[in-house]
Amino acid sequence: MAARCVLGSIWTSISGVRCMANSSNISPFQRITISPQLLFFGSVQNRGIRHVVEKKEGKTTVVSEKLAYLKCWFIIAHCFMIEGLTEDVPVGPQPPNPTAQCPIYRWNLQNKYNYTDVLLLSQFIRSDGGMLPRRVTGLCAQEHRKITICVQMAHRAGLLPKHKPPLPEGHIPKKPKPQLNRYLTRWSIDSVKPIYRTGLKWCKKRISVGHPALKDNVQYGKKILYLKH
Amino acid sequence: MKQWATFARSWYLIDARMQPPGKIATMCAIRLQGKHKPIYHAISDVGDHVVVINTRHIAFSGNKWEQKVYSSHNQYPGGFKQVTAAQLHLKDPKAIMKLAVYGMLPRNLHRRTMMQRLHLFPEDDLPEDILQNLTEELPQPREVPRRLDQYTPEEQEAFPRLWTPPGDYRVK
Repeated sequence: MAARCVLGSIWTSISGVRCMANSSNISPFQRITISPQLLFFGSVQNRGIRHVVEKKEGKTTVVSEKLAYLKCWFIIAHCFMIEGLTEDVPVGPQPPNPTAQCPIYRWNLQNKYNYTDVLLLSQFIRSDGGMLPRRVTGLCAQEHRKITICVQMAHRAGLLPKHKPPLPEGHIPKKPKPQLNRYLTRWSIDSVKPIYRTGLKWCKKRISVGHPALKDNVQYGKKILYLKH
Repeated sequence: MKQWATFARSWYLIDARMQPPGKIATMCAIRLQGKHKPIYHAISDVGDHVVVINTRHIAFSGNKWEQKVYSSHNQYPGGFKQVTAAQLHLKDPKAIMKLAVYGMLPRNLHRRTMMQRLHLFPEDDLPEDILQNLTEELPQPREVPRRLDQYTPEEQEAFPRLWTPPGDYRVK
């Protein structure tokens, strides 16, 4: 297991980046450059990731003779030996608020992330694009919902191209779908109907953009967040 | 010579890739009218040319591709047509930009001449004579977010892990 250092240092890069990000519209995560020295500081409760490794052992003649009288499944079980290896993950920087339950509160990112922060969102998704369960990630209910919404918006914007569900073999797409660029889509593409009668000014049917769950996000810049266009 | 420079008609280039058409249209309308010049007057023709490229790769926010409807009536009975933005874009990739700019120009007789000074191209390729005329490229209004595969592996690793998976959980 990884050795625990005694040093506890506050990760100042977040606060530093926040000052920088105030002057521009770039989200803070795209500006983070952590020097390699920081990797040695701080003590994170570090457990290696457990990977399941399948090792195939060839059938030896000795073994097969000995086990010849046993049932088939026993031989197969001996041929394929499943091991669990614990990998050592390198020690990372310490969260500024380690006593909180939810990982987002631990790193003080409550209202600071958006659908564009793909590096953050990709930590909570499976390889086929689905969300990981709350009991595994440790997120609180509201933040889990917000992250789910951001992940859906990122998928629809095409920011996570590698996290697509695997297509069955021999699947031929019927017609090539039109590639339309979009962003901040609240509703699923097939579920929305066109607004044929928009109405007069006092009763206009507005098109919804973004999501009200993200309305408390920090706005860098003077522009107000418009949810109805 | 300086007077020639102030009253000359310049050619602006805008790249509309991954940009909302409304924001591009406001920039176009300002420059077509000539409102970006201190010598502006409504009577005098001080507008510039604007060339918009990559109009096929326009990005709408929200579900506007499905919800926004462009309607037209050809004055015959039963001639009311309503088309969604997605259908219109597939039929003609320049139409959405054209309608957006047309709606933002002042409703007078100068509008048609200003629309003639707007040049739309669905892709990158421009004819030679327009390429030679271009003077300035305008910055894009919307900052295009980076995809996950556009981040280098060093950046992805430098980003701290927010949570550690519990003991026996099989990661992905």
